[in-house]
Amino acid sequence: MSGAPSIDQVEDFLYREAWLLDRQRWKEWLDLYAPDCRFWVPAWKQDHELVDDPDAGLSFIYYESRGGLEDRVWRAQSGMSVASTPLPRTCHQVTNVRYEAPASGRLLVRSAWSCHIFDLRAREQRGFFGHYEHLLACDGGALRIAEKKIILFNDVITGFIDFYCV
Amino acid sequence: MDALARLHGLIIDDPRGKEFRVHRDVFRDPEVFDWEMRHIFEATWVFLGLESQVPSPHDYMTAFIGRHPVVVSRDGKGDLHCFINSCRHRGALVCHRAFGNRKYHVCQYHGWSYDSSGRNVYVKDRDQAAYPPSFDQEDHDLVKVRKFAAYRGFLFASLAADVPSLEDHLGEARWFLDLIADQGEEGVECVPGRVVFRFRGNWKMQLENGVDPYHFTSTHASYIQILERRQKAKTDHVPTSIYTNIRNAGIRRGSFTFARGHAAMWGDTPSPQARALFPSYESLVARHGEVRARWMFHTRNLTLFPNMQIAENASLQLRVMRPLSAGATEMAIWCMGPKGESAEGRRQRIRQYEDFFNPSGLATPDDVANYEDCQSGFAATSIPWQQGHARGFEASVAGADRFAEEIGLQPERSLIGPAELGDETAFHSCYREWLRLIEAGLRKDAIGEHSTGKAAN
Repeated sequence: MSGAPSIDQVEDFLYREAWLLDRQRWKEWLDLYAPDCRFWVPAWKQDHELVDDPDAGLSFIYYESRGGLEDRVWRAQSGMSVASTPLPRTCHQVTNVRYEAPASGRLLVRSAWSCHIFDLRAREQRGFFGHYEHLLACDGGALRIAEKKIILFNDVITGFIDFYCV
Repeated sequence: MDALARLHGLIIDDPRGKEFRVHRDVFRDPEVFDWEMRHIFEATWVFLGLESQVPSPHDYMTAFIGRHPVVVSRDGKGDLHCFINSCRHRGALVCHRAFGNRKYHVCQYHGWSYDSSGRNVYVKDRDQAAYPPSFDQEDHDLVKVRKFAAYRGFLFASLAADVPSLEDHLGEARWFLDLIADQGEEGVECVPGRVVFRFRGNWKMQLENGVDPYHFTSTHASYIQILERRQKAKTDHVPTSIYTNIRNAGIRRGSFTFARGHAAMWGDTPSPQARALFPSYESLVARHGEVRARWMFHTRNLTLFPNMQIAENASLQLRVMRPLSAGATEMAIWCMGPKGESAEGRRQRIRQYEDFFNPSGLATPDDVANYEDCQSGFAATSIPWQQGHARGFEASVAGADRFAEEIGLQPERSLIGPAELGDETAFHSCYREWLRLIEAGLRKDAIGEHSTGKAAN
């Protein structure tokens, strides 16, 4: 990567991802991801121990391709999924952004997130929170998500979660 | 109204008049929930977990029997114990984690200590306590759950002593547990990673849905459509589902109901080659014979009344239901697989599980949203009766059908039909046992005897 992006550029990228999710501009959200991206929301093995091998332990969501996310976007917008109809209003917050020095042309960005959800079906609010780990690649000057790991702290799930809740 | 009369007004079970009805108060009334806790969950065998979840000396896991917090603990000699998770002194929990390993459980409040068999080994400052003799004569051990037993590594317990043996309680439904346990030469295990979710609905929404074939094509329409989209695009980002081709498969669905509330639903598998177990088919035939191996490849949903279900279809799922109130339920769910499974088989099983199950999958969230919608609809208290327990009535036969005969079972009732028949008779046995247990409990109440406490003086 020639000329590593500034922390401002990295933060702006994460905020834009959150904004696209909350505005339900999910086609543009998908464009932030590389076609062979890894998207991972691991389950917990113990109180403070995450599943570390997705092929030997369970995840909430695990994909090694954008295709899995494309399925979910289609489903959420299809009107055929009871859980996603009506869609909730969501508000993601991303903060505490730090990144490690570029290695092999990629940036490992760590942040904290929360998502407030207003469930229009129940007329109630729910929320989830945790940490993100983005691995960003610089693709023709633009940042792209090569990997995203979402660590979900409050894993007694109220109802259900989907890509737009985390 | 007299409690027994009220209870009998909640279920209509009239085989001659060809009527089976469930009153909506069963799902929404706090008094009914209290009956369920005292006379079902705290009066019969309930499922706690797997032996393999506490494999080593001093391993423990916490669970619930109705409202009672309990601990399953393996002592230093390797024997399992089940005791109530409440210090004898002032009542504090002595185990706080879902799983752990402790030689001694020390109450954090005043320091009373128990070993991994639940025996009291220490009362802090006992010599200086000036206790009266009555204290010294008391048992200070953690309270043992009266009945605790395992069947093929599945652990069950009962707070009440007046229950049949576990084997008798499970009856012929055991055959379906055997069919799970026999898939691995060393049995089955839970895949690491625990998932717990809560929904705003009565626990019996899950109890019914687990053996409800009728909801599949409507509730899971988006999932079926995604399978078709993947097939058309020839993508392989998720392993092929066993439900691929379900629309054209012309599959059969059957059900069996058993004594003591247990039920099983089974069906043809639209794409059996998609099962993680598929490469093991020949060896399963060699070990268990053609008939049992073939049944391992049928879809099977098992309910062990009141709190456990196993679904073997999209993957293999274990569910434990914990009712929280009339309108709230907690589910602990696990992906299961044979011990010693190939890495590739395990990966495939996990991906298929995540695709369908989990509160983050492409199917379970739609079930959950429906349970919550039903509970919201139950606010219409002027509507007394459900219309959801009549499908299949004329197809259900007493005793064994030819499929039950093939596997040597004598269920109370059997049913077979096309998937579109959408059988609802598999729920009936649950409600019969529900009624039987609550009635027995209310009768004991009436004479002042309690199933989980001492007989009244």
